[in-house]
Formats: sequence, structure tokens, C-alpha cells
Amino acid sequence: MAKTSDLDRVTAIVLRFMRAPILVLVAVYAIALIGMVLMPGRDAAGNPAHMSFFHAFYFLTYTATTTGFGELPHPFTDAQRVWAIICLYISVVAWLYAVASIIGLVRNPHFIQAVAERRFARGVRRIAEPFFIVCGFGDTGSLLTRGLDDAGRSAVVIDRDPERIKALALRDYRKTVPGLCADASAPSHLIAAGVKSPRCEAVVALTQDDEINVKIAVMARLLNPSVRVVCLSTSLLRGEYLETIGSVDKVNPFDTFAKWLSTALYAPLLHTLTDWLSGARGVTLHNPLCPPMGTWILCGYGRMGQRLRKSLRAHGVHTVIIDPDMEGAEDLPDEEKVLGYTNRETLRAAGIEQAAGVVAATDSDSDNLGIMLTARSLNRKVCIIVRQNHHENQLAFNAADADLIMQPSLVTARSILFLLLSPLIQPFLDYLRQHHATLLVDVIRELRETLADSPPYLWTTWITEAHAPAVAMLQAQGHVITVQDIMRDPLDRERRLACVPLALQQGGNTIMKPEYKKDLRPGDEILFCGTPHAQRVMDAALNNRYTLQYLVTGLQEPRGYLMRRLAHRRPQRDAVPLQR
Amino acid sequence: MQIADRSTVMNIEKVIFGFFIILALTLNFGFVMGEISDPEHHNVYEFFAVIVVNFIAMGLKLGDRSQIGALLLATSLVAVLQLISAAVVWTVAVHVTQTGLSPGVTASIVSLAGGALLANIVSVVMLVADTLMSGR
Repeated sequence: MAKTSDLDRVTAIVLRFMRAPILVLVAVYAIALIGMVLMPGRDAAGNPAHMSFFHAFYFLTYTATTTGFGELPHPFTDAQRVWAIICLYISVVAWLYAVASIIGLVRNPHFIQAVAERRFARGVRRIAEPFFIVCGFGDTGSLLTRGLDDAGRSAVVIDRDPERIKALALRDYRKTVPGLCADASAPSHLIAAGVKSPRCEAVVALTQDDEINVKIAVMARLLNPSVRVVCLSTSLLRGEYLETIGSVDKVNPFDTFAKWLSTALYAPLLHTLTDWLSGARGVTLHNPLCPPMGTWILCGYGRMGQRLRKSLRAHGVHTVIIDPDMEGAEDLPDEEKVLGYTNRETLRAAGIEQAAGVVAATDSDSDNLGIMLTARSLNRKVCIIVRQNHHENQLAFNAADADLIMQPSLVTARSILFLLLSPLIQPFLDYLRQHHATLLVDVIRELRETLADSPPYLWTTWITEAHAPAVAMLQAQGHVITVQDIMRDPLDRERRLACVPLALQQGGNTIMKPEYKKDLRPGDEILFCGTPHAQRVMDAALNNRYTLQYLVTGLQEPRGYLMRRLAHRRPQRDAVPLQR
Repeated sequence: MQIADRSTVMNIEKVIFGFFIILALTLNFGFVMGEISDPEHHNVYEFFAVIVVNFIAMGLKLGDRSQIGALLLATSLVAVLQLISAAVVWTVAVHVTQTGLSPGVTASIVSLAGGALLANIVSVVMLVADTLMSGR
């Protein structure tokens, strides 16, 4: 068999499907035509004559399509009429067959899938900028896609569920987000999604099934060794397996969530900062949540409950768990567990009257809301944290009287978003967690002063030849450029743009909260938090050597050749320093 | 039981395919044969057969995804296009302008059919070459 051409699948399917109808039509037309020509007829004067091919074709054209103009060009003989009857029936049947084949092809599920795949692949090819592949458009996937879109980045979605792909088509994204209903772990679908494209920044595996996520990670790594792979993994075993593939970012939603919750309880200020930086609605830097200390009741002891208890215990908090099925809790002391569904009796047995807080962490939203209402009726003052499993129940949770709503999919989506868009932010937040609160207070004060009430915007600036050519040019001339210099406002260099440098990656080291006087070197990466306007102005300066030179030196060098010649002579006359 | 050697099994599809492609060439050759401007040498029924067989050959070539299949389809498209042009010239001359088959008109019909002949020769050469190259 010769190797297949690049003739794409859709065209090939159409051609193969049309082969039989076309052959049938050709044969029927040929038989009808030759018969019509051979049948003895008469001309206008009544002399015996044969129909010409042209007239036969004309007759057949209107007969086969059942238009019927009558006997043209001359009235038929009976022999011709007999043949006309045969022509009519065979040609109409042939046409019906051809039309039915076309309709059958259009309704064929394989054809529909092939058309969808081609449209998807074409949509992906049309994306001219770097993009992310999101595999799995569940709650986390859709929140992540929304986050990427809000940040002005392009994304491509693959999901197995046709309902989710229909939902994707109805979203009001600013960028077009192509979606394909297919199994993302099949390499051909990953290739259609552009995994081999140099513009593909990362593949994010977020399906419900751990095994499929691992498969996606392996396929993506094999197809493109340089692409970034982020994989959602809930089990430890598969997590270890992923280690062997190499350079796959694992995100465990339960761990991420437990960390988020313990931050909320023990570092409320840092928690507020994290939520604020991730753009959570309604969070400002002014109102940190302050949960009370004491005994906490954990309702539900599944994978999530176990992680939560571990992280609470790590902070020395006394916990009581309530669960109908004590799997994994056999070795807990009796006073720390209550067997049964969460209701008035079990909550009382767990000591709800004296408890500081209740965490409703089962995997059922209705149970969690029920637990919340019961707990509230037993103790008005208790701090209630409730887990929201499905994004669609948002309105019910907003109406509920909970102190903190924890939405694992949202937290996971945010942490992946940080990982993808500003890789330096997580080390920065970890650094703040480890160091004392005064640093955190300073950072928050500085952010508040710089940004006033505008929402935060994170971006990374690369000091490279490609991203900041002006810096390279000035450095080549011997200028020293500091962090402060690129933060100056081109309208007035004594003023600062509305941005704060959070972290600086320099030669393999990450410097948190870099000094303003720190000098920049080629290859540096700086994470800023500020306004989108500040980023635009800064980018413009990094690409324009004259603007940057003004920012660095405070002097405007003449641009034209003549003026430059004059300016070079001038220092000898009136000694104006051109360089610092 | 022995597995039959594929070269010894005659494939009926291949026979039909080859038959129509070669018939398209032979009929085309037969029509073009003769004095180029003499309408007596070029029969209308033969011309009809050439067109029909070329259409059938084109239909048979549809849907082959191989590289050679794409080229075969292209040659058929060329031949069909040339023959339709010839048929249109014939129809216009006889029925529309009423000039009849003058030597000039006949020459132009036959030369168009001659172009189709060339395309059919290429098609047959490719078919034979592909069969020989496949080694069985």
C-alpha cells in the first residue's frame, strides 16, 4: 500500500462516500442517453430521424430532475415514449439514491466527528500567540479557562463529555476557545490540539479520572519533550509514577486545599493576600478573616477530611471527626471521633456547644448545607466552613450563612493558574509564610499604597534580548540599569509606575522582594504586581532605547544623525554630561 | 492449510479498475484517429462512449487516499474537463450557431479530445508503473 497523502480525512470520506452515487448516475445517464438517441423518432416534417445527443441530454436533464417540459424539440414517436418512461424511472431512482447518500453522509457520526476535528485543528492553527491545552472541562477546567481568558491568554479545550463542549460554546470568552469532544489521552487528539506546536505553552490534565490524567501527561511528554505538563493527581501511587516521567507538575487538589484552609486559619493575612492576588471577588486587603481558636469539628472523613485533619493537627489544633464510615480512622482515640451521619445528636456528642468551628467537608453539597444549618441552630457563634463541590450550586452557598465557603475546584484552578502564568508567585507566598508577619504587613501596605483600590494584576517581565531589547542595548553601552529604573514613569521619571516588584529570578537564585537599587542582568525574570496600564508603559520603555535612556539617565539623547553629531561636539563647548 | 499467495489471487476490483482506465484510453485513441478536420473520421457515438467511460474511470478513482491515487484522479479530471470542452464546442457549433461540423470546428473538437488522450496515456502509464512497483 502506498503511503497516505496529506489529503485530509474529511475530503477522503466525502470522496469515498460519493464514489458509488457518482458511478450509478454516470451509468444511468449513459444508458438513458444512448437509448434516447437510438430510438426511432420523427422530425417536424414527419420524416424518420434520430434525436441528437444534445437534445437527448436536454430531455434527460429536465426529466431526471422531474421538471418535465414536454416532448422537445419535436413530438415523440411511441418508441421514444416507451424509452422516456424507462428513462424517467431509472434516473429519478438514481437521483434519490445520490441525495440519500449525501444526507446519510452528513448524518454519519464518524463524518460529524471528522468535521468537528478538522474545524478544531484549524481553530487551533489560527491561534497566533502562545496557548494552553486544557484537558477536561469540568468545574476546575472551566474556572481555569476563565482565568486564562481573563489574563488575556489563549486556551484550547478537550473534553470527553459532549455536554461540556456545548457548554464551552456558550461561554462569553474574549478569545475564541476551540473545543473538541474527544478522549484527550489519544495522541491524535492531542496533536490536533497543537501539542507539537512551538506556541503550545503547557498541557493541563484535569479530567475526573486519575488514570486518564496520567495517560495525558505521558502522551504529552512523549509528543513534545519541551512542553510543560501539569497533571491533576489525587492518589499518591500515581503521583510517584508521574515522578518517573520527569518534569511534570503534579497538583493534588486535596493537598492544595488543605494548605489553603490551614493558611486561612493560621495566616489569615497571607490568606487574604493570596485570594486578593488571585483576583477573588469581594476580597480586599482591608478585611482579613479571623477564625477563632479551639476545638474544630470535621464532618466527613474522606480523602479531603483526612488531609484537613492532618494539616489542622500540624498546627496543634484539637479536632473531632464525625463520619458514618470510620475508614482510615481506626487508630484515632475515641474522644476524637463520633460514628454516624452528621445530625443534632452526633454534633452534640462532638461537643458543638463548646466548639470553635465546624468544617462541613463531605462530597455532597446538600449534606454540607444541611450540616451548616444544623450546626448553626445548635451554636449561633460557631465559625462554619463549608465545602462546595459543584460550581453550579454557587447561588445556594452564597445565600447560606457560612463564614468561609471552600470550593476545592476554585482553589485548584487558582493554584494551577499561578503555576502557569506567574511561576514565581508560589515561591513568593511560601517565603512570606515562612518569614515573620512584619514582612507580610510591609508587603500588604506597599501594595495597598501603590494600587489604591484597583484590582491586582500580576505579570512577569523578562530581561532578555527578545523581550527587552532596549535594556540589552543600554547595558552594552555600559549603563547600569536597576529595578527602580524600569519602574520609572516616562512622563515624570521621579515618579513610579503603579507596580511593586515581588520576586526577581537572577542566575538561578530567586530574590524575594528585591531592593529597588538591585541591578538587572541579562536573563532576569521579575514578577510584578500592579495595574495593566503600568505593564503597558513598562513594556513600551523596555522596547524603546530612547525612553529607557531617559528613565535611566534623565537625559534625552538626540535621535537624528545630524543632531547626534552636534550633540557629540557640544560637550566640549558647554560640558553637558551625556552619560552618568 | 496454506495461506494463498496474494499474487495468485485475482482481485475483481483491480480488474474493473484497470478495464475502465484502459478502455478510456483506447476509445479516446479510436476517436482521435483519422484526419483531424474531417468530420467523417470522428463518430459521435464513439465520442459519447469516450465521455461516459472517462466519467466512470473518474468515479472509480474517487476516495483513494494514496499519493498515486491523488495523481490518477487528477489525470481523470483533466481528461473529463477536456472532453466536456469538446462536447460543448460540438453542441454550440451544431445547435446554437448552426455552422455545422466545418473542418475548423472538427479540428478543434479533435484537438481537445487529443489533449484528453494524453491525460489518459499518463493515467495508464501510472497504473502500470504502480502495479509493477508493488512487486506482485
